[in-house]
Order: sequence, then C-alpha cells, then structure tokens
Amino acid sequence: MTKKYLGQPITRNEDPRLLTGQALFVDDVDMPDMLHAAFLRSDYAHARLKGIDISTALERPGVVAVYTAESMGADWEPGPPLVSPPPTVEDVVFNSRRQVPLVKDKIRHVGEPIAVVIAESRYIAEDAAEDILVDLEPLEAVIDLEAALEPDSILIHEDLESNLAAQLVQNKGDYQAAREQAELVIKKRFIIDRGAAAAMENRGIVADWDVKSQQLTVWDTTQAPIPIRNGLAARYGLSEHQVRVIAPFIGGGFGPKMMMFYPEELVIPWVAMKLGRPVKWIEDRRENFYATTQERVQYHDAEIALTREGRVLGISDQFLHDTGAYDPYGLTIPLNTQSHLLGVYDIPNFTSEIKVVFTNKVLSTPVRGAGRPQGVYVIERLLDMAAKELGMDKVEIRKLNFIPPDAFPYEQHYIDQAFAPLIFDSGNYKPAIEKAVELIGYEQFITEDQPRYRAAGRHVGIGIVAFPETTGVGPYEGARITIEPSGKVNVATGVGTQGQGHFTTFAQIVADQVGVDPRNVNLVTGDTAEFHWGTGTFASRGAVVAANAIHASAMAVRKKILEHASKHFGAPQEELEIEDGQVRVSDLPRMSISLGELAELANPLRGAVEPGTEPGLEATAYFGPKYGATAFGVHSMILEVDIETMTVDILRYVIVEDCGTVLNPLILEGQIHGGVSMGIGNAYYEKLVYDENGQLLNASLADYLIPTATEMPHIEIEHQETPSPLNPLGSKGVGEAGAIPVPALFAQALENALSDYDLEISETPLSPNQLYELLKGRS
Amino acid sequence: MKLEGEYTFDGPREQVWELVRDPDVLVTALPGAKSLEQTGENEYEGEMNLRVGPVAGVFAGRLVVSNEQPPESCTLAVEGKGKQGFVDGIGHVNLEAVEDNKTLMKYEGDVQVGGKLASVGQRLVETASKSIIRQGLDTMNNALVARLEAQQTGEKMEFTPPSESEFAVSVARDMAGEALSSKAFKWIIGAVVIIILIIILVIINQNGL
Repeated sequence: MTKKYLGQPITRNEDPRLLTGQALFVDDVDMPDMLHAAFLRSDYAHARLKGIDISTALERPGVVAVYTAESMGADWEPGPPLVSPPPTVEDVVFNSRRQVPLVKDKIRHVGEPIAVVIAESRYIAEDAAEDILVDLEPLEAVIDLEAALEPDSILIHEDLESNLAAQLVQNKGDYQAAREQAELVIKKRFIIDRGAAAAMENRGIVADWDVKSQQLTVWDTTQAPIPIRNGLAARYGLSEHQVRVIAPFIGGGFGPKMMMFYPEELVIPWVAMKLGRPVKWIEDRRENFYATTQERVQYHDAEIALTREGRVLGISDQFLHDTGAYDPYGLTIPLNTQSHLLGVYDIPNFTSEIKVVFTNKVLSTPVRGAGRPQGVYVIERLLDMAAKELGMDKVEIRKLNFIPPDAFPYEQHYIDQAFAPLIFDSGNYKPAIEKAVELIGYEQFITEDQPRYRAAGRHVGIGIVAFPETTGVGPYEGARITIEPSGKVNVATGVGTQGQGHFTTFAQIVADQVGVDPRNVNLVTGDTAEFHWGTGTFASRGAVVAANAIHASAMAVRKKILEHASKHFGAPQEELEIEDGQVRVSDLPRMSISLGELAELANPLRGAVEPGTEPGLEATAYFGPKYGATAFGVHSMILEVDIETMTVDILRYVIVEDCGTVLNPLILEGQIHGGVSMGIGNAYYEKLVYDENGQLLNASLADYLIPTATEMPHIEIEHQETPSPLNPLGSKGVGEAGAIPVPALFAQALENALSDYDLEISETPLSPNQLYELLKGRS
Repeated sequence: MKLEGEYTFDGPREQVWELVRDPDVLVTALPGAKSLEQTGENEYEGEMNLRVGPVAGVFAGRLVVSNEQPPESCTLAVEGKGKQGFVDGIGHVNLEAVEDNKTLMKYEGDVQVGGKLASVGQRLVETASKSIIRQGLDTMNNALVARLEAQQTGEKMEFTPPSESEFAVSVARDMAGEALSSKAFKWIIGAVVIIILIIILVIINQNGL
C-alpha cells in the first residue's frame, strides 16, 4: 500500500466552490412561502417580566404571528443539559440551570429573547418587534464574580441559595507539604476577561415542516447537527427519522455554534410546525454580541512553590469562573483550565478549587481554547515570575521542569472535562523548545540585538512559552464509504465543517486506501439524512476521531475491493494492487478492472449471493479513542512597543508545534494562523466590556476590535511529529492550538520589551489604553 | 455615568426657579422634546427625539421633581424608554445667588444608559449628554433674558427657541469638537458640520418644513 496523499500539502477540494460563490450557506436557503423571524430582545440585564402586550404588533400589515413564552404553552421548556455532573469526584456542587426559549418571568441577561415576530419580511418583523410593549421591573444586576457570591447579593436563580453554579476541588499529591518544603513561594492574582468568537458568519436557522410528508427539515449553523436532530425529535414528539438537520457550509464556528440548544433553535422549528410554512431567522451582527455565547472570564488566586534551583514542587489555584446567566456546559471550561494549569511540566503536587458563578451576562460556553488559554496563562506567568525572582533564564526554568519523554503516558492523577483521569499520551518537549530558540535566534537577540535596540531608544522584547493542548476526545465518530458504479467515491460522516478543510483531509485518507485521486472523493458532512451517528466538530477532535473513523471505514472498503477482485481474477489478494481507480494483478497489466465495474459486479440484479454478503463496495466504521490525545507546542515572538502610542508591532513569530501525524500541512498551517489571529485578539485587542448594569458597551465591530491583516505577523511554523499511540493514524488535534498560548506570550514579551518599567502583567486582554495605565502606575 | 457641571444664568434665582418649574419652558429648552405634560403635582410625562451618534429615536419619558427647596435646590429623576434603549437618571440642582444679579446653577447626577444606546452609542453618550444639557441651559438662559427684558419694557416677550436642526448642529459640533480637539483636525470639524447641515436641509426639504 503506497501512502501517496496523506501528509501532502494538497490544495483544498472545497475552495473552488467557496471562492466562486457556489457553496450553500444557511442564508442562501430560499423556499417558497417562506416567512421571516425577528426576536424582541431585552434591554435590561436583570428584570422581572410583568406583562407583554403584542396587540399593536399584530396589527401591522405583513405580520403573520407573534409568540411569547405564554403562547408556547406546554411546549415551553428550558434547553436540555449538555453535560452531567462529574461522578468521580467528591464534594461536588452542581446546579444546572439552562437557557429558555423565550423569557417567561425573569430576564437574566441583556439580549435574552422575550418574543418572536413572524412576518413576510425581516424589515416588517423588526418594525413589529418595536411595537411590542413590555412591562418590566428592573432589578439590580450582578456583574462582579466576587460580589455575586456575597451572602447579600441579589439572586439570579431565585430557587437557589446563592449564585454559585458549581464547585469542585481537585488534588494531586500534597500541596501543603510541598509548600512547606519550598524555598520560594510566589502568590499572584490573575484576571482574565471576556472575548467573543465573532465568526464571520452569524448564526441562522431555516426550518420547514412539510405536513404532507410529515418531515421537519432544519438548516442550522450548528457544529453539532446530529444532537440537534435528536433533541428536536425528542422535544416535539417525532421519530428521529422525521427530522433532518443540515449544517451546510458555515462561515466559522469556533465553539459558540456547538452550544445546543440556543433559544432560536428551540423556537424557530416550533414556529415552522405551528404555521406550516418555512421560517427563516438570520442573526445580525449586533444580535451576535448578545445572543451568541462568549467566554473567558476567570479570577485566579494562584501560587507556585519551588526550590532555589527552579524546580517546581507544587501549584495551587483557587479560581472563579463566570458562566453568565445559565450554565448548560457545567464545569467543562473550568475543568479544561485545570487540565492545563500544570502546563507541560512535571509537577507532583497540585490543589485547585473551581467555583462557577452565575452573573447577568450572556452565557459562557466554549470558545476556541475553551478554558485552556486561562490555565496556560496562569502557569506560564507563574514560571516567568519565578524565573525573575530566581534570576533564571525563562527557557532554562521551563526545560528544567518539562515532563521527560520517557514518562509518557503521563498520568496527572486528576480528572479532565470528559470526567476521565487526565493522561498526557505522548510528548517530547525539549527538542521543540530548543528548535524554537534556534529559529528565533533567542541567544543572539538577548545578547546583541536587544541592547542595540535599547541604545536606540526602541522597546523590543522577546517571549517564549510552551503549552499542551488536550484534543481528540471521544466519545466516537463514524463514517460510511461507498464506491459507486461510476467509479465515484462517496463518503458520509456525522461531523460538520466550518472551514477546517474536512473535504480535503478526509478525502486524502480515503484516497490512500481506496486508490483514487482525492479530487474524486465526494464528501458529505453535517447532514443527518446522510449519516446520523456522532456528536460534532469541537474540542479539536475532527482530525483525530472523525479522521480515524474514516480511515477505519476506508480500510474496510479496501478489504472488500481486494476480496471481490481476488474472486474476479482468481488471483490471491497479495498479488493485487489498486491505483488510479483500477484494480490490477501486479505484473499482469491486462488483468485489470475499474473500481466502478467492480462495484457493479458486487451488486448483481439477478442471481444468488452467498449468505452473509453485503452488497456493493460499501463499509461503515466507527472510532472512539480511549482518552484524548495531548498535542503541544512552543510559541515565540519578538515584538516592539511604541512607547507613545502603546501600539505593538510583532517583528517575528515562530511556532514549533506537534500535533502527531500531519494529515495535510497546508490545512494545518491554516488552522494555526487562524488560531494565532484569535490569540492576538485575546491578548491585545478583543475585550467585551460590560458596565455595572450588565450593559454590553462595545457590541459592534467598531468598538470590539478584531485583528485585521495589518495586525497579523508573518508566522514561521516548524513541525515536529510525535505520533499519538491512541489511534491508528497517530494524529492529534490542532484546531485551538494557535490561540492557547498567545496571551501568556504577549505578557512575557511586553514585560521584556518594557523591562525598564519593571512591569508585572497579570491580566488579559490588554490594550494600548491598559498598557498606558500600567506604565503610568510604575513610573 | 456621572454628570456634573456649573452654569451661570443672567438673572435672579427666583426667576430661574420659575423657569425650571415651567413645563412650557422646559419643552422648548430641549428641542426634540415633542411634548411635556404635567401629570401630577411634581410629575411630568412627555416624548423626546433623541439623537446620539448613529442611534436616533423617540423616547417616552417621565420626570419627577422632589426635595423641593425653592429657590435653592431640587432633585430631578428622569426615566426615558424607547426602541433604542433606556435612560435612567437622577440629578441634584443647586441655585446660588451671585453678584450682578446672576445665578450660579450647580448640577450633579448619575445617568444609566441601556439598550442600543449603550452598546453602539456608548462612546458618545457622555459627550452628547453634556452637550444637550449645556445647549438646553443656554436656551433657558436666553428665555430668561427675554423674559426679564419683557418685564422691564412691558413688551411682549420675543423669544424663538432654536429649531431641532440648529440644535442638532450645535450638539454635533460640540461632540466633534470634544472628540477631535487637536489643531490638525479643526478642518474636519468644519466639514462634518457642513455635511450635517446638508443632511438636515435635505430632511427639512423632504418633510416640507
């Protein structure tokens, strides 16, 4: 078997369609008799809903219906829980409160939907939404995490005793003992603030209930079409096969589109079934800031205990996590943070307490990184502070504490977000950091370049951080591959695609096994009618779980090809080879048959087949890893700060990353570039600002600054491949890797550039304004 | 958002107090205010056109006067609600008699803003509020002067409050001036004002004013 395509930088199959406007996005869906929806959203962050008067709205011409929580009657129900409480850890507090379709009695965050207007056009629907009169009793908003936990704080969920959504403590070894032995203990508070995913395409849903065929079809910008299908079927009393959810091409997911079920996902299909006409809702940009989930707020009180030589004995971290008004994702994000608080280091003692807090803000659910950036920020900052205290080089202190390559699989002795024991499956950190040091010219910068810059009055600094990334979690994914009589190869899998290049990487895997060109492999993702087992695209798992399922399925089809061909030619399988869509007996070029013809032979119209035969050349296979594979990387950058404007210019950016077996280097780099862009935003430009009343003050791209091409550096990427022992391809995920270490990297590089100010940066995101304030405080 | 400031009126305290408590004067002091009706002893309700940057709309408002100590001080509570959001403010007004028969008004208050006004107009709300207050006080001062002259000469008071468009222009000028105070941008302010004037002229034309 010649491995021809996997690992090659093949250009993407899906690009010609995407670049010429021939790809279907949800807003392209246009159906006869289609109605449009607009939601009336709350202007208040915390209020009691006393009454709604929809009479004026109904009188507007073009308005077909207006629905409130009351109109939904018995169908009104909060969304289903997405995670269960951790079963394996004692003393857990877990209060599950999920988002509601439409507000019934209490508004808990700005933007929460109060009513939905269905009209002939979106213009009319929006105008009618403004006709609705709402009687509200505003309440004090709960915004600060610590104030929310005060005993006299107003309660967001009044049936609970406090605003504590969840609490969990995890221990490894004995931190208190380590602390007593330590020769240096550093304590620091870290504040991490909110950012949005701000995908280029906002959310949207089109739902169509066909009465005559009793079928519900939903186009949804979701990362998880199969769970949405199953949930909708259960909710509305339908068989799962009566519901088809299609996630077509999607302009970026990044996590919030994995959230299930948004109020709109609960309401729009219900409306379509009630009215018997297709209904479309497309989110506008301002709505996106209020109605699509966000993430990252955490307050950390952390401590590191070390020896004088710089060996870390233990880490302690008590932190608060802001979940917003509801907590459908439970402890997932903070558990991810805990999984990364020890970084890539061999630290024997650890104690950490999570408190998840309700606030009157938009829900917090995973956004690219999903809690990992926060954990990496804390450990890398603590190491930098320790290095400074001990007079050690930043690279040396890291190398001293790395998990050694012979210690894998490395058991961390506490649980991860999948409620399983956290195990790092493989890793080789020292060569990665040494490579990064060499590529960026670390030594030369410190000894020669930086002094020269300083003498010229320029503030240029260098940063280097290392990080792990847990990826590739289960439970499983599946795929079905069919070779058609025309010779075309058809692949169907349950995950959706939001730009990850699945149509290419997955095709490469199939092409290698089945002996065709990847351009001739047709892939369908995200359509529950084509494949209905699986969970979705999230947590950097597509290249691990779905790819391995496709690999398994491709191997099964290959087996069938060889069996059929062997029988057809009367030759043993070892003498057969498949290439360019033809099966031939090696050394006998005339004994050859195309895959298409073989497929036809495998599916006779007449005659008898042997018992146990499956017709055609088709196979379905599934893959579920034992646990998630851990990828890792090192990011390094040289940046210059303009001391008058506080703008930064990244002069060099070097990455050494290791995500196991590389499936397609071109697509890998694209994922990393995208992640770094988000990381740069999280480090220096993007911050969602809520005032003390829970009002979002920068709900527009004019005030919420996303890095553009001018903020992006040229990124130099070097690959290292430490294959994962957990799956046949040896692959690990990488979708979030670009974003995870960047805030920590920025903090280090800024401190280094402005070392004459002796800064200690412990918050992120920063901004030119904030940096100015920090410097003012120091001089 | 905290708002505070001072303003000197060209007239005695008693007259200023009367103006402040006269709904017909208040409604002209803030063009854009479409109506202001007294609904209780110290309560007024009305409607106002509000324009802050890209956010514009009609706000239904309620004004409650309390802690009255004429002619010295009072507390004003304002609640405004519209499709663009809401405004909740409370302010204290203090009048001091100063030389030349003038009055020094000191005001300080707290304003909460929500909805689209907060999320899109937030950067401009503070500047716009200060400007609207100042323009309103200027108008009231002009009304005061006209009233005093009329009392002296016995003639009818001649006073034209600024039109909505003139008002909008001065507010815009204030906002542009504060946002771009560097010398290099003065010419941009002029251009902005001209553009706004053109837009307003078009609107006036269309509305057949």
